[in-house]
Amino acid sequence: MNNNFFPNFWRFLGLVAVQVLLLKQLTVSVGEYFNILLYPLFILFLPIQLATPYLVLLGFAIGLSVDLFSGSIGVHASAGAFSGFSRFVIFSMFAPKGGYSGKEPIFSPAHMGWQLFLQVSVLFFLAHLFWYFSVDAFTFVYFGTITLKTISAWILTMIFVWLYTAMFNPKN
Amino acid sequence: MGKILQLLLRNGGFVTLVLVEAFCFFIIVQFNDRQNAIFTHTTGIVAGRTLEKRQQFSDYIGLRERMDSLSQVNAYLQTALANARIVKIPRRDTSFIVLFDSLNQTDSVRRKVMRPLYEYYTATVISNSISSANNWLMINRGSKDQIAPNMAVVTNNGIVGIVRHVDAHFSMVMSVLHRQAKISAALSKFNAFGSLIWEGGDPSVMTLKYIPKHFEVKAGDEVVTSGFSQMFPRKILIGHVEGSIAQDPENPYFLSMKVRLSQDMSTVGDVYVVKNIFQPEQDSLQVKVSNEQ
Repeated sequence: MNNNFFPNFWRFLGLVAVQVLLLKQLTVSVGEYFNILLYPLFILFLPIQLATPYLVLLGFAIGLSVDLFSGSIGVHASAGAFSGFSRFVIFSMFAPKGGYSGKEPIFSPAHMGWQLFLQVSVLFFLAHLFWYFSVDAFTFVYFGTITLKTISAWILTMIFVWLYTAMFNPKN
Repeated sequence: MGKILQLLLRNGGFVTLVLVEAFCFFIIVQFNDRQNAIFTHTTGIVAGRTLEKRQQFSDYIGLRERMDSLSQVNAYLQTALANARIVKIPRRDTSFIVLFDSLNQTDSVRRKVMRPLYEYYTATVISNSISSANNWLMINRGSKDQIAPNMAVVTNNGIVGIVRHVDAHFSMVMSVLHRQAKISAALSKFNAFGSLIWEGGDPSVMTLKYIPKHFEVKAGDEVVTSGFSQMFPRKILIGHVEGSIAQDPENPYFLSMKVRLSQDMSTVGDVYVVKNIFQPEQDSLQVKVSNEQ
C-alpha cells in the first residue's frame, strides 16, 4: 500500500488541478459540447487489487473535489462513484485467464499493452461520460443532447487520455 | 443475519455504490438550482398522479354507499309515483288540486288538474364547512339550471340549507348551521310550530324555540318542517328532540329544546334544490300585510 500511495496521491492532485484550471476553462471558452473529463484516469489507474468499495469511495472523493471547484456539487461525485464500480465490471470483463496475478500493480500500457488499455479506457470513459451528462441534465427528456455531448466529449477525452498516458507512461 | 452480512460483503462494491449515489442525489438536489427545479417538478407530477389514483380508488370504494343512497332515492320516488297514480293524494303536499287549470286560461274545458307546488332539482355539494360560526355550502347548479335565491336545499335524510347567492353554474347555500338561518319547524306529534336556530358549537345539534309551554314534549319526538316558510315543503324530517326540555330563559311562555339533526351535515353529498312554484305570489301577499303594519 505504501509504495503506491504517493503516485496515486500526486495523480489525484494533478488531475483535479488540470481538470478545474485548464479543461474546465476550455469548455467555458469554446462551448458546451467541448467537454474533456480527464480526472477519471485517477480511478482507472488505482491499484488493480483495490476492493470495489474503496474504488467507489475514491471515485466519489475525486468527483467531489472537481465539483467543489466547478460549482456543481454532487454531479461529478456521482459520476466518479459510478466509474469506481464500472471499473470493477470492465476489469472483470477483460480479466486474463485465471484472473489478475498481482504482478501488474495498475492497468497501464506499460503492464498490459496499448491495445488492451485502449479497449478498457474507451469503454470506461464512455460509461463515465454518459452517466455524467445524464446526471447533469437530470432528466432523460434531453436524451438526444445527452448522447451528442457524450459522443463529442468521448472523442476529445480519448485524445487527452492517449496524450497523458504516452507522456507519463505510469507504472504504479 | 449472518447470511445478510455475507451478502453485503460479497456485494460490498454495489452496496457502497447505491449508498454513495443516494447521497450524491441528495446533495445534487440540495445544492444545484437547476436539478432541484427538475426534481421538484417531477415529484409534483408524481404526487399529483398518486393523489388522483387515490381519489379514483376511494371513489370506487364509495360506490356502494353511493348506490345505497341512490336506491333510497329510487324507492322514495317509486312510492311517490305509486301514490300519485293510485290514490291521487300526493305525499307531503307537494302538489294540490285545482278546479280548473288557472295557469292555462285558454283551455275552455273546465277540469280537475294536479298542479305541483314544488319542483325538485338534483345537485351535488362541491364544498362544505361545518366548523365556522357561519357555514356555507357550494353546489354545482346555478341560474342556468333554474336555481334562484331562497330555494330550499334538502336531502333524503333531512334539510341542508337555503340558496342565497346564484351564479351561472354554481350557487352558495346558507347552511342550517348559520347564525342567521331560522327554519320554521314543527313537532309532528302536536303540529306545534316554532323556530329552529343554530347556536354554534356541535354541528349535529340545533335548538328549537317558541314551542308553547303547554305541549308535553318528550325526548325522541320527531321534528319536521312546518311548511310555513314558503321555502321548505311540509313535513320534511329535520331530526329528533334530544335531552331535557327547558323553559326558554328569554321568554317564559315558551319551551326551548335541543334537536339532533337527522342529516349529518358533515357528509352531505347529493342534494335536492326545491323550488316553490308559487313563491312570488305568496311573497307579494306577505308584502301587502307588512305594508299595512
